[in-house]
Amino acid sequence: MRSSVVVLVLGLALAIGTPVTWALTQPDEATGTTVAQAIDAPSPSAMAPSPSPTAAPSPSGAVPPSAPALDLPPVTTRDAAPTVAAPVAAPVRLSLPARGVDAPLDPVGVSADGQMELPEDVDRVGWYRFGPVPGADGSAVLAGHVDDREQGLGALAPLRSTEVGDVVVVTGANGVETRWQVVSRETITKQVLPLDTIFGRDGPPRLVMVTCGGPFIPELRSYRDNVVVVAEPLP
Amino acid sequence: MGRLHPSSGVGRKNGMTVQSDGRNVTVNKTRPIALTAGATGAFALLFAATPALADSHTNATLSVLHAVPETPVDVYANGERLIDDFEPGTLAGPLSLPAGAYDLALFPADAADGSGEPLLSAMGVELPAGANATVAAHLTEAGEPALTPFVNDTSEVAAGEGRLTVRHVAAAPAVDVRAGGEVIIDGLVNPNEESLTVPAGDVSADVVVAGTDTVAIGPADLTVAEGANTIVYAWGSADAGYELATQTVQAGASAPTGVPGGSAGLAADEGMPAPLVGLTVAGLAAAAFAGRKYATSRV
Repeated sequence: MRSSVVVLVLGLALAIGTPVTWALTQPDEATGTTVAQAIDAPSPSAMAPSPSPTAAPSPSGAVPPSAPALDLPPVTTRDAAPTVAAPVAAPVRLSLPARGVDAPLDPVGVSADGQMELPEDVDRVGWYRFGPVPGADGSAVLAGHVDDREQGLGALAPLRSTEVGDVVVVTGANGVETRWQVVSRETITKQVLPLDTIFGRDGPPRLVMVTCGGPFIPELRSYRDNVVVVAEPLP
Repeated sequence: MGRLHPSSGVGRKNGMTVQSDGRNVTVNKTRPIALTAGATGAFALLFAATPALADSHTNATLSVLHAVPETPVDVYANGERLIDDFEPGTLAGPLSLPAGAYDLALFPADAADGSGEPLLSAMGVELPAGANATVAAHLTEAGEPALTPFVNDTSEVAAGEGRLTVRHVAAAPAVDVRAGGEVIIDGLVNPNEESLTVPAGDVSADVVVAGTDTVAIGPADLTVAEGANTIVYAWGSADAGYELATQTVQAGASAPTGVPGGSAGLAADEGMPAPLVGLTVAGLAAAAFAGRKYATSRV
């Protein structure tokens, strides 16, 4: 009788302990703050409070509608002749020493289907050239394939195991390195990826690295999720 | 929503009162000259253009383009000098102004400030909150000076694209606009505008007499900025020569629709490996067996 109690306890321990131990040894789905918080993009609702008629009390004394009191700002004038914008100096290299990532960067745009374009070569990482360069205001997006059926694992495959505090180094076109620190990693289902936040062009400088993750859906030849890592500039 | 309209038409001032401080010029009488088709076009656009990019709910954004050849001017708004010694071919602004109606007047740059007859004026140009407009001082097709308000389309464009707007404000008949040798806008007449969305990047643009290959202006290289409205003005006259002027207005930039990222499943999060599933099942079975045995042994 005592032996059956022992077996009962051991069996339950095994049944509960095995999945729990497995789950605990898996990399976390997310670490640090959420991506949206880390990017700290001003939300549109905060930017645009609903107009209220009482919000702007008019100064005492009726101002004729056709002639509001002018406090004219200084006016700048410029030659309006057509110009070609100077090409932006694209960043050239991304590395996360702690995760063994060291990949060249290619400037990329938008592919025909409207998604961000990525370098064909999975050993290279794309920098979204319509967004800011790393270090400028807004979020600079670097993304790459996590893998490819012919080429194997991609340069950004280790992104899913990054931890808060990992140092990221981006080399600019002029060879100057900028250093960043990971503040957030999140695995987000592609359908609910906060694209406007991730590709935000305002707010403090952020480095946002994106690749694929989560379960693989063979029918779609695609992953279900995106792994998004946000880093802040290191002084 | 509001509308941008010279309520009494684009007018020439007949009389005005200068108040004692010598700054507040109130134009009290206007003789409207024919409201140009361009201004009418601008009204139509106003209804379509939502002030999506309003940085404030009480301000409007105004730019002023000087496209009357060989005539430096001073620009006054509601009697206050807005721009001093404004040269042809230059753009002033963008200015953030309180929304409302503005009386605009252009005086010869060498005249004493705020006195004399304005060369051009437009009364009650209404700038609704959040609106983004450019007022162009230019020549009509017949070579008469005119003020035309244009509404700048700041609505969102798809990621990777830019809006290209061409405005015909030159003393010239209908023109075609070509980019890289290909006609992108045809039969544009003064003071109309036409807009299209193109992949962002550099283009070589020229303006030809409508339906011909006779180049009137250009070619000139210009950048169509991503997420912006690049506005090109064809201006000038046969005597003074024709030129292009450009203005870039931030439009709503869009994010790409997603980030692809893998096709092999090598980095996929798998479920629990089979041996571990087996171990769990074995544990459950053992517990169930022992539990049953324990229960029966108690009976």
